Amino acid sequence: MMTILNSRKFSVAACIAAIVAGTVAAAEDPLAQYEREVRPILEQTCFKCHGAEKQKGGLRLDQKEGMLGGGDSGEPAVVRGKSAESHLIKLVTSTNPDEVMPQKAERLKPEQVAILKSWIDRGAHFPESGASADTSTSRRGITDADRQFWSFVPLRRTTPEIPADAKWPRKPLDRFILAKLTARGLSPSAEASRAVLARRLTFDLTGLPPTPEEIESFVADTDAGADERLVDRLLASPRFGERMASLWLPLARYAEDQAHQVGDDTKFFYPNAYKYREWVVGAFNRDLPYDQFIKLQLAADKIAPDELAALGFLGLGPKYYNRNRIEVMADEWEDRVDTVSRTMLGLTVACARCHDHKFDPISTDDYYALAGVFASTRMVNKTPDGRIEKENAKAQQMDPTVMHVVEDGDVQNLNVFIRGNAQRKGPVVERRFPQVLCGPETVAFREGSGRRELAEAIASAKNPLTARVMVNRVWGLLFGRPLVATPSNFGHSGVLPTHPELLDDLAARFIEGGWSVKALVREITLSATYRQVADSDAGKAGRDSDNALLWRMNRRRLTVEQWRDAVLFASGELNEGTGGASKELGDAGNLRRTLYARISRLKLDDLLIQFDYPDANVHAERRSVTTTPIQKLFMLNSPFMQRRASVFSARLQGMAESDDARVTAAYRILFGRDPVSRELDMALGFLRKPNASDVTRWEQYAQILLASNEMLYVD
Amino acid sequence: MLSRMCGGFGMLGLASALGSPIPAHFAPRAKRVIFLFLNGGPSHVDTFDPKPALAKNEGKQPEGNLFKQAKGNGFMPSPFAFKSCGQSGIEVCETLPHLGAIIDDCCIIRSMHTDVPNHEPALLQMHTGNVQPIRPSLGSWLLYGLGNENENLPGYVVLRPTPKIVVGPALWSNSFLPAEYQATSVITSDMNVEKLVANIRNPHITPGEQREQLDVLGELNRMHLSARNGDAELNGQIKTMETAFRMQSAAMETFDISREPASVRARYGETPFARSCLLARRLAEAGVRCTTVYYTSSDNQPWDTHNNHNERHPKLCADAGKAAAALISDLKQRGLLEDTLVVFSGEFGRTPYSENKDKTKAGRDHHHTAFSTLLAGGGVRGGYVHGATDELGMNAVDKPVHVHDLHATMLHLLGLDHERLTYRYAGRDFRLTDVHGHVVRDIIA
Repeated sequence: MMTILNSRKFSVAACIAAIVAGTVAAAEDPLAQYEREVRPILEQTCFKCHGAEKQKGGLRLDQKEGMLGGGDSGEPAVVRGKSAESHLIKLVTSTNPDEVMPQKAERLKPEQVAILKSWIDRGAHFPESGASADTSTSRRGITDADRQFWSFVPLRRTTPEIPADAKWPRKPLDRFILAKLTARGLSPSAEASRAVLARRLTFDLTGLPPTPEEIESFVADTDAGADERLVDRLLASPRFGERMASLWLPLARYAEDQAHQVGDDTKFFYPNAYKYREWVVGAFNRDLPYDQFIKLQLAADKIAPDELAALGFLGLGPKYYNRNRIEVMADEWEDRVDTVSRTMLGLTVACARCHDHKFDPISTDDYYALAGVFASTRMVNKTPDGRIEKENAKAQQMDPTVMHVVEDGDVQNLNVFIRGNAQRKGPVVERRFPQVLCGPETVAFREGSGRRELAEAIASAKNPLTARVMVNRVWGLLFGRPLVATPSNFGHSGVLPTHPELLDDLAARFIEGGWSVKALVREITLSATYRQVADSDAGKAGRDSDNALLWRMNRRRLTVEQWRDAVLFASGELNEGTGGASKELGDAGNLRRTLYARISRLKLDDLLIQFDYPDANVHAERRSVTTTPIQKLFMLNSPFMQRRASVFSARLQGMAESDDARVTAAYRILFGRDPVSRELDMALGFLRKPNASDVTRWEQYAQILLASNEMLYVD
Repeated sequence: MLSRMCGGFGMLGLASALGSPIPAHFAPRAKRVIFLFLNGGPSHVDTFDPKPALAKNEGKQPEGNLFKQAKGNGFMPSPFAFKSCGQSGIEVCETLPHLGAIIDDCCIIRSMHTDVPNHEPALLQMHTGNVQPIRPSLGSWLLYGLGNENENLPGYVVLRPTPKIVVGPALWSNSFLPAEYQATSVITSDMNVEKLVANIRNPHITPGEQREQLDVLGELNRMHLSARNGDAELNGQIKTMETAFRMQSAAMETFDISREPASVRARYGETPFARSCLLARRLAEAGVRCTTVYYTSSDNQPWDTHNNHNERHPKLCADAGKAAAALISDLKQRGLLEDTLVVFSGEFGRTPYSENKDKTKAGRDHHHTAFSTLLAGGGVRGGYVHGATDELGMNAVDKPVHVHDLHATMLHLLGLDHERLTYRYAGRDFRLTDVHGHVVRDIIA
C-alpha cells in the first residue's frame, strides 16, 4: 500500500520537478540526482551551519544519519518519500522569518525547493557516509599530537642558562626567572626593605599583618638565617592553614546551604559544613602531602575513614531543585565533574557534556566516564563513626557530629546523553579516567563507584597536570599572578605559562619532595624573586608592562579575608580562635577571622560579595579584583567601620600620652612604619579641628587610616 | 590580567575611557530596561489572552500531554470581560483598565513559553536563561555589555518590597561575571532613603566632617601613590573613593520618592509595588541601566493563586496594572519611553483549568506552555499582538516565543547580539541564551 502511494506521489512530484528545473530528473538514478542537484544546494545553503564544522540545533545534513535522524528537535529533517512531512521542506518554505532556513543565506529559489522535494519524494537516496553520525557523538580519538600539548607531556627538568657567577639567585626558581629576564634585556629590581618584607611575608603566610614588635625584631635580626627563621615561624603558625584554606575553599565551591530554598525547607542545608573547613585548615597546617590531600577529599571513606570530613569537597556540593529528575541529577554530576576536573586537573571536562570538547582532546565518552563515578556516588549524613542519618532529618534532631559526605551508591555506568539530552541515550561508557591522561589503554574503574581509582589517577606522580596545577595556584597566591593565567584551565583555550620550564621544575620537585606544600611555599618566599620591591620602573615597564617576567614584585590588594582581619587586628579586637562553627559575618558581635564566616549559596554576605569573594555555587578559578564605590561606602559609612575606628582610637589613646606618639603608634600598627613629617602634620592638623558631631576627631582620623590604600595593599 | 581597574559600578576607570567593554553590535533602540516582575505567575487567560472558548468548554477536563494530572473541575473561564482597547483594538481584561488605556504603546506577546512549570526553575530561566542557579542574570549581562550610564549610581538595581523572595539573590546574580556587574538589591518596604541603600550615609558625623576626612584621606593616598610611581590601580582607588562620596548625595536624591509631587504619586498608587515603580522611573531618569521591580508581598509570591483565584487575581491586577501603566505613561511624558524598555511578566502563566475541586475556592495551577508578556517602549512595536495560543489557551501555537527568544530580543533592542555577547569562563564562551534564542523581529517597531 505504502509503496503504491509513494510511487504515485513520486510521479507527480517528479513531473513538477522536471518541468520546473528543466531536467529529466524522473528518469535519473536517484543517487546521481543527489550528487548532481541536491548536494550543491545543500552545500551552498545548509552545510555551513549543519555540516562537519558546526551542527546548529544538533543537526547535521551532510550525513544520512543526520538527515533521517534530525537534530535536537527530534524531528527528522527528511521523511523518505514524504516531502510534505519533511521538516526540511517546512523550514525552507516557511514564511516565519525566525524559522525559515537558511537563516544566514539567501532564501531558496522555488526551483531549488522543487529539486529537494523531488529528491525526498523519490526516497531521499543518500550516499553511504561511512562514519556514524548523531547516534554516537563521541568521535574523537587521541592522537600523538594531542598528547604532545604542553600540559599533558611529562614533567621535564631543565637547567636554565645563566652566568655561573650570577649572585642574585637564592633558590633554584630564581635561576629560571633570571634567565628569562636576561634574555629580554631586563634585570631584577632591588630587594625590599626588611620592614616591607616582614609585612609581605606575614600577610602572605598567615593572612594577618605583623605586629610592630615582630617587625622590629625581624629588622634587628641580622644573623644569618633570619629570613628562614621568620618563614619557618610563620609556616608553623596555625594561621598558615587558615590562609591556605582561603585559597582552597572557593575552588571547592565551599558553602553551607543551597541556592534554592523552597519555603522554609532547609533540609538540604549542611549545618556542620564547617568540619570540612576545619579539615582543610588542619591538612595545610600538618603539611598533609598534596597527593594525600586530594585522595582523601575524593575517597576518604575508602582510604582513611577517620578523615571522613575531607569528603566535604564532594559532600557539600550543590543539590539542585527537583532531584528526582534525571536531568537535574545530570546537572549535579556536571557540577562534580566540573569542580573535580578544574580544581585538581586544570581541565574543563564539563565542556564535553553535550559534545566533544571544542578545544581539548576530551570526548563526551571521557565526560560520561567521569560522570558515571558521581552517578555511582550518593550524598549522605554520616557521623565520624560511620552511622548514617536520614537525609530528611531536621538539623536540630541530627547528631551534632554528623557531616554531609559521600559514599558509594548504586554503581552504574552511564550512557552518553546525546548532545547532553538525558532522554537521548547513546552508548554506555565504562567509568574511567580521561583517555588523554592514560596510556594507550584505558582501564575501567572496578571498585565500587571508582572514586578511589579516580583519586589515585589524579594524584599519581605520573599525571603531570596535578602538580603543575597546584604549584601554579600557590605561585599565584604568593605573587598575585600565576604562571598560567588561567589556573583552572590548562587546556588549549587556556593561557600558556609565562615560564613553562620553571613550572615544570617546581612541579617535579614538588612531587619528588613528597608533595609538601610548605616546602613549596618556603622555596618561593625565600627566593630572590619574591624579595624584590613592588615599585615600577618606567624603563622596564616599557618592555614588560604586565610584569609577566617578574622583574619586580607585584603590589597586591588584600583579599576581603585579609583586609577585614587586618582591620580587626588593628583595633585589637580580632578573635584568633581556630576552627568551629560558622558565624554570620553581618553579626555585629562577630569578631572572628573572616574565614569562619558562614558561606551561603542562597545569599552570600554583602561584605563578601562586595569585596570579590566568589559565588559559592560554582568552582571559582580565581577572584576578580574590582574597585567599586560600594566598597568605599562600606569604608566610609558602615557600622562595622565606625565601630572599629572607635575601638582603634581608644586603643591608641591608651598607648601614648601625646597625639604625636599616638599617630606614630597607629602607623606602626597599620603600616609597619613611622609616619613621615607631612603625614604627622596632617594628622595633628586634623586632630586639632573642633568636631561638630559626637564622633571625636580621633575616631574620625582612625577611620581615615583604616580606609586608606596603604591599609588595603601589600607592597 | 587578574586585576582590572574599575572605578565604578559599571565600567569606569580604565574602561570608561573606552566607553563600554564591548562595542555595541548595532544601533540600540533602548538604553535601559525596567523589568516589572509578577512573582508567582499571573494568569494569561485573565489578563491579555481572551479565551471565550473556555466558557463553552467549562468543566471539561483538559486532555493531552499535561505536566501533571488535572485534579480540579476542568476548564474555568475567566469571570471577567475583555474589552477592545485603543486604536489597535487589542483585547485586554477589564481588571487592567489602566494598561488597556495605553495599550497602543504596548506590545503583547501571547505565545510565550518556558521549560518547567515550577517557580524556581522558571524564575531562574526568566532571569538567567538557565534553570539552575549557576549563570549570570540578564541585568549583569547588560551591565557587562553596555557599562553604566551614570557613574554616581549603581548600574543594576533590584527593588523588592519584601526581603523574602522565592529563589532569592540568584535571580540577580552576576555569577561568574566580575563583581562590578553585580546588582544592588534594595528592599523597598520602607522608602526612607537611608533605609533603602546600605551605607549610603554616615548618620554620626556631619557632611562637613566627612568632607574633611576625605580631604586628608585623599592627600594620604596621593602621597602613597606618588611614592609608588603612580600605580594605576591605586589611582583608581582614589577616584572611586571620590565617586562614592558623590554617590551619597546623588543616591540620596535619586532614591527619594518623597520629592515627587502628590499628583504623580497618586497616579502610581500607594502600594509597595507602585512606590517601587515610581522609584524605578527616577532611577531610569538618572541613567540606571537595569532596574527590576518585583511584585512580592508577605504572601511571598502573590501571583501564585492556587486558590481563591477569582478573588485574589483581580486585586493584584488592579494594583500592578495601575502602577505599570502610570510608569509607562510617565516615561512617555518625559520622553524616556523611546529608549527605556519596560517588560511586564511573570515566570509563567496559569492553567486555563481549575486545580481544586472546591468550586468556591477555585484556583489555577502553574502553566508553562503558554503565557503572556507585555512590553513597552525601547523600540517595541506598540499596539501589536504577537503570536497566539490555541483556543483554550493551553499551548502557544502561533509564533511561539521561548524565554530565550525574549532574551535575545531584549538584548537586540539594547544593541547587543545575543550570539556575540559572550564571556569566556571555564574554558568556553558563555551566553545569556546559551545555544538558543531567536530575535523576534516582528515586535520591533
